[in-house]
Amino acid sequence: MNSQKVINAKRRNLIKASMLGTAALAGAAGVLFGNFGPQSTGLGISQAKAQGTRYKMAFIQWQPHTVPAAWSKGIEEVLKPQQVIDYELLDGQNKVEVQASLMDTLINQGASVIFLQPIDSVALAPSIAKAKRAGISVITLNIDATEAHAAHVEMNHYFGAMDIAKAMGDVMGGKGKVAILNAPPGIIIRDQRTNGFVEGMKQHHPDIQVVSDQVADWDRKKAQDVLNTILAANPDLGGVYGVNDSMALGAVDVAKEKGLIGKLAIFGNDGEIAALESIEAGELTGTQYTDVYQQGRLAAAAATVLATGGVAATAFTQQSHLLMPYVIATKENVGSIQPAQRW
Amino acid sequence: MKLRPATSALLFFTALVFAAFSVWAPRFATATNIENLMSGFSFIAILAMGQAFPILVRGIDLSIGAIVGLAGMVVFDLALIFHLPGYLILPLALLAGSLAGALNGFLVAYLRLQPFIATLATLAAYRGLTYTISGRQLVPGLTTTAITDPWIMGIEAYFDVGGWLGLTKWVNMPWIPLSFFLMLLVFALFQVLLLMTRFGRDIYAVGGNEEAARLAGIRTNVVIVLAYTLSGFAAAIAALIMVARFTTSTEALGTGMELTTIAAAVIGGVSLAGGTGSMFGPLIGAFLMGGILLGLTLLGISQFVQQIITGMILLAAISNDRLLAIRRRPKLLAISSGAS
Repeated sequence: MNSQKVINAKRRNLIKASMLGTAALAGAAGVLFGNFGPQSTGLGISQAKAQGTRYKMAFIQWQPHTVPAAWSKGIEEVLKPQQVIDYELLDGQNKVEVQASLMDTLINQGASVIFLQPIDSVALAPSIAKAKRAGISVITLNIDATEAHAAHVEMNHYFGAMDIAKAMGDVMGGKGKVAILNAPPGIIIRDQRTNGFVEGMKQHHPDIQVVSDQVADWDRKKAQDVLNTILAANPDLGGVYGVNDSMALGAVDVAKEKGLIGKLAIFGNDGEIAALESIEAGELTGTQYTDVYQQGRLAAAAATVLATGGVAATAFTQQSHLLMPYVIATKENVGSIQPAQRW
Repeated sequence: MKLRPATSALLFFTALVFAAFSVWAPRFATATNIENLMSGFSFIAILAMGQAFPILVRGIDLSIGAIVGLAGMVVFDLALIFHLPGYLILPLALLAGSLAGALNGFLVAYLRLQPFIATLATLAAYRGLTYTISGRQLVPGLTTTAITDPWIMGIEAYFDVGGWLGLTKWVNMPWIPLSFFLMLLVFALFQVLLLMTRFGRDIYAVGGNEEAARLAGIRTNVVIVLAYTLSGFAAAIAALIMVARFTTSTEALGTGMELTTIAAAVIGGVSLAGGTGSMFGPLIGAFLMGGILLGLTLLGISQFVQQIITGMILLAAISNDRLLAIRRRPKLLAISSGAS
């Protein structure tokens, strides 16, 4: 009964997620921006079309991965139909100097809005400040920057990870040993996703012990090797938490090979399509699912308002911050995630 | 200074590329873009010049990017954990980079390890050391703390040279970053070292034929150690510039830089066979690569295609290097037979 309640609550979360997004797309980007005054009237998409004005926007991703690819698709879905915005996806190649150089180039090109998934919160701050001086709004995705900017749209890393811990502990019956397959250190979301998980275990399942926390570089293949080593030292392991889905799926590969499916509770984080399919196949136990397309669409809706509404990058007294709604997807509720929401 | 034919060919090609982008790539020939080129690629030019030394003695420094990361983290720790003043941090960072380079030289010269293997090993070791000493891991909260020391941040300064010279009346001039002047300073220093000192002559001798150099009484081991030390020294300067630019350092700083610098050096005519090349080539090579990357981005060409193009340019440069080496051989044979 209790678990049914939890599932219902999760379903409501999912519905809320899609509704929130739709509201924003309908033009109510006021969800994000509560604190600026429109500077003039007679602006907007139709005005821009009439005058032949074109806006340039670009997204600088961290490196090629399913998450930024889905953001970019969501962003494009919103920007393309408006016909006045030139959009491109640029790759940061996992290097701060490449991201900074791309920021410089976009500032030189007079972009209206830059979407940025910063590799480092501090390292890209000078570039964001430079963009602001040039009147360009910056919207960050998932990783915030220490320099205040127009808006930040992120997955709910910390609280999502707490809920993952709770769900995993429930599956494990509240006792046993778990291991974390982690990202390389130095990234805020790694800390949020790890600390949230550890804190969640402490709160909900104090008898469960985190016996191992090893770096597997966000990578499926690496995760297989790392988990094999962990299992050799802890043959009685009861649960594995992959800080992203790729690593969790690496754990699934190992569990399949060793006949541990069903014995090992494996949770991921992100909610990419491969993870959802693995849950449906009864292999992966669960993951934190965020509608990443929607996250991109929200950012794009905000960007459109900023660009065509003539809002200056300096018009904000305070940075807007949006936490994406999420759901802990497990075998029970994964079916409620619609095909169009899968990325 | 007499220009070698290879150098003039490189200069001609560079001028051609920049001219083509100026015509076709929107906003390429602007003051802002030139400023971006100078601030984004001066440190790469410094690294390429550093990389040239090991290559000149027929070696290679694959760990140069890892030394950038290590020196960057030394700056980070000294500034944010130990709160040392910048005027002490600067020499200590240069020392750390030079020592890391010297260790490479020691492994190659005294333990007779293959340069490729030795520096591949230290690449992993220095990167690991960077993670180990990372203040970002040791002290929570430093991940989001910017370095503010005026000595270090002062490196990220821009000068309105055009304004001083009164040129801005006629044309929109870029502001010149301090890193560009530092790059020129390193160029002057290295070039003098290479062309006007005994050490420079020894470098060419060791690179040309180590055994002959030894028989001629050159302390080849010392020369090799110094060559790698200079590479580490250049990496530390680049690290300082990057830390100033980003107001922080990351564990991954400088990753992949070894390939970029080797490419720039080889494109700049520093022969992988050793003993041929100077500092001018790597400098031009670095800015040529930078100009191509910026130009292609401005043209809206996908970065994955850009990587293919960069690879092809490198391949062309290496082929050219081989071709020149093969052509040189009969000439050398002729000289030696003439002498005998």
